[in-house]
Amino acid sequence: MDDLTEMLKGTLEGCVLEIIGGEETYGYAITRRLNELGFADVVEGTVYTILLRLERNGLVQVTKRPSEVGPPRKFYALNDAGREQLATFWAKWQYVSSRIDRLKEGGR
Amino acid sequence: MSIRDIIEGKRQWRAQLARVKALPPDYRIVYQEMQKYLFKVGPVDLLDGRLLTGIVDFFEEGAASGRGVLDLIGTDVAAFCDDLIKDSRTYADIYQDSVKG
Amino acid sequence: MSFWDTITGNDLTREWQAFEARAAALPEDHRAAWAQVQDHLFPYGDFTGRNLMPIVDAALALLEEGAADGLDIDEILGDDIPGFARALAGGAGARTYRDRWREQLNSTVARKLARLGG
Repeated sequence: MDDLTEMLKGTLEGCVLEIIGGEETYGYAITRRLNELGFADVVEGTVYTILLRLERNGLVQVTKRPSEVGPPRKFYALNDAGREQLATFWAKWQYVSSRIDRLKEGGR
Repeated sequence: MSIRDIIEGKRQWRAQLARVKALPPDYRIVYQEMQKYLFKVGPVDLLDGRLLTGIVDFFEEGAASGRGVLDLIGTDVAAFCDDLIKDSRTYADIYQDSVKG
Repeated sequence: MSFWDTITGNDLTREWQAFEARAAALPEDHRAAWAQVQDHLFPYGDFTGRNLMPIVDAALALLEEGAADGLDIDEILGDDIPGFARALAGGAGARTYRDRWREQLNSTVARKLARLGG
């Protein structure tokens, strides 16, 4: 689906947290995962800005590891604060999506 | 103290320029235009130098993987820059506060 | 430099002299534009001076970068120097100016990449 950028804005950070929460990983792999999910418009630059923010806000642990191609890669893993943030994200998501579903189904 | 003095003081600025020079041409062009834009907007984050070196790190990785720079960050380079500095106050913000205060 | 003396104490004079030395190294057109930018920053002038430093530095850095790239003043600042100064200081119209910088960034990148044949 095209043109999801605006709608994804508030949720992409949560998606990235979830992916990192699964296993320690790096920017390009996160981007590919999101693309495979169907978010084709997400470019690595977008993921980079999110990772930068997560790092600055102390939600991830960053480790540099050598790569077969080019310079070392930064790998990201969640720390305790990151896991807390992820739980909060899913709670908020649950709240919003259930309310929107209810709206769509014409209920109260 | 100026942005430049601080970066130069850490002797990072020259190293940074050399790394930018070593990037493929498309990456180099985009980096240089981004830097100009960021200097104009003046986010406080520029001060510690990490914003710019972080971009070079990121670009080096992208270039090593053989992708073009716009594949990496999309065609809306300005939106990418604004995302990078979303949480950073600018010098203009600080100045405006000082005038109001 | 009267502009500076009007609004600051002497403790900043040394830093100001460093700016002037950098400005003196600019090509003539760029130096003239620098003077104009200063004039237009002046109305925003109840600075303590210290706050203005990074703004002045950013403007000067921009001219230095542009001159090193062989760009004309128009290409660096656009044709509206008062607007540019206003945007730097974050005053009225800063938002529209930032939009113009955005457009300028994207179109310059597109133009230069096209020239690469990429």
